[in-house]
Amino acid sequence: MNPIVARQMIGAEFLKLRKKRGLVGWALLLAAGSVVIYLGVKAMQHSSNPFERPPAGGERGFERTLELLGFFMVPLAAILIGAEAGAGDRANGVFRDLVVTGRSRVALFLVRLPGALMLTFVVVGVAFLLAVGGVFLFAGGDPTPSLALVAKAAAWSALANGVVCIVAVGLASLIGSRPATITALVGWQLVASPMLLQSGSLGRAREVLLDGAFSQIKPGLRGGEPVLGMSIAAVVISIVLWIVIASAVGAWRTATENA
Amino acid sequence: MNVIETEGLTKRFGERTAVEGVDLAVPGGCAFGFLGPNGAGKTTLIRMLLGLTHASAGTMSMLGMPVPERRAQALARVGAIVEQPGFHAHLTGRENLRIVAAARGPEARPRIGPALERVGLADRADERVKGYSLGMKQRLGVARCLLADPELLILDEPANGLDPGGIIEFRLMIRDLVEQEGRTVFLSSHLLDEVEKTCDHAAIVDRGRIVTQGAIADLAADGRNELIVGCDDPGLAAAVLDGYSGIRDVRRSPDGLRLTLAPGRDGAAAVNTLLVEAGVSVNRLEPVRHSLEERFLEITTRLGVEA
Repeated sequence: MNPIVARQMIGAEFLKLRKKRGLVGWALLLAAGSVVIYLGVKAMQHSSNPFERPPAGGERGFERTLELLGFFMVPLAAILIGAEAGAGDRANGVFRDLVVTGRSRVALFLVRLPGALMLTFVVVGVAFLLAVGGVFLFAGGDPTPSLALVAKAAAWSALANGVVCIVAVGLASLIGSRPATITALVGWQLVASPMLLQSGSLGRAREVLLDGAFSQIKPGLRGGEPVLGMSIAAVVISIVLWIVIASAVGAWRTATENA
Repeated sequence: MNVIETEGLTKRFGERTAVEGVDLAVPGGCAFGFLGPNGAGKTTLIRMLLGLTHASAGTMSMLGMPVPERRAQALARVGAIVEQPGFHAHLTGRENLRIVAAARGPEARPRIGPALERVGLADRADERVKGYSLGMKQRLGVARCLLADPELLILDEPANGLDPGGIIEFRLMIRDLVEQEGRTVFLSSHLLDEVEKTCDHAAIVDRGRIVTQGAIADLAADGRNELIVGCDDPGLAAAVLDGYSGIRDVRRSPDGLRLTLAPGRDGAAAVNTLLVEAGVSVNRLEPVRHSLEERFLEITTRLGVEA
């Protein structure tokens, strides 16, 4: 596939996603809305009891907000977007019409990834800007995060949500169903993964969990508070494995399924 | 040149054979009807041609290129609608075409406007597809096919769900695509009347097998050349015509006498002369127009009896 065709196809994928108002609305609500609500509640708590409740913002507030950006609400937006990108063509009966253009099925799968990532990064970007704004606005007496910390946090948020989005695209392409993908991944992200991460009996097996890897490299005042104490190599291997396996199963299914 | 050729094409789903040993030849530059009852294997054959499912046995080619070996090159000049055309309902008609044009390649994008004009949707192209009628979606499906500037269009049951006006409109569009633009249209249908009115050639398929194929007129007549004769004395007329060598059979029917002429004989003038000379007053002399429907029912009924 030449670069012009690739660019056009990625643009088409982005078009499909960004024009879906319901999807964009929910993704923004989950990502940006949750940040606004979280910081707003924290700010009200601090103003009502400034001695017992820390400021919503500042460096400490920023670190807490990153949990929201990388582990809880914002990844849900990435899941919604990835599930739509992976299963949308099939759900709308368009996949068959794309196959009969003669374009390689693997190419049809691969362009879903950057298309979905583009929208995910836009949504994460909005949430991140709101978070940074809130952290500075509600810093109270606390020091505000440095520019270097903000930059690291931006990269970390993009990576964490980007990988979740890729996993969602792969899984949705594999099972061909948006609701099933969303249910499975939301359950995994909010319930199963945090529980497994806290299960000490699993030992080093927990290093395959994405949350473990991202917890290890989460930027913060103390360089993060890793649960597992993974090496950087283990972190990289874990993240790459998730990306490769999700992409491989999605591509395999797209290439082999009856259209 | 044949634009589609298959030899021994077979598709099995477990124990069930959906398409069995199909030898099909679709000539270029015509509207070709692939006619058969529901479940006869029409869509399965189309899906195999387009690479949507694998064949169990046999060979096939499109536009002279073997598929699936050269599927991508062949499909670059083929437009197809399989079953109902699917669209992203939240996008406009034009945006839906942009999606497929992107997959087709850079040369397809400038064809979006002309394709929408061609199917009469230019005025509604910037409305969301969720507001389109079924007929508009079918036309948008054809516009999507035209993005390939196709030599061959494959349309699976294109008249399904259309109202009578929509069917006529669609038929005229297909005839234009063939006659004005020189494209070949391969359309599958279970609607006999539709195939008869739209197509030049057809194949009749039943239970996964091609029963017969050829020009519509030849298929319908099945080699029979018949005349209806109305006269004042059918008894005398039958007696006169019974001995005439150009006539194979004479039967009485509610319309008058029904004559089956010998193959290759154009006997209307001779029959008229014979009857007038015998003193029979002839008030009607009309060639019988055979319908594909009669032939289709005849074939499928016969097959049903055999089974």
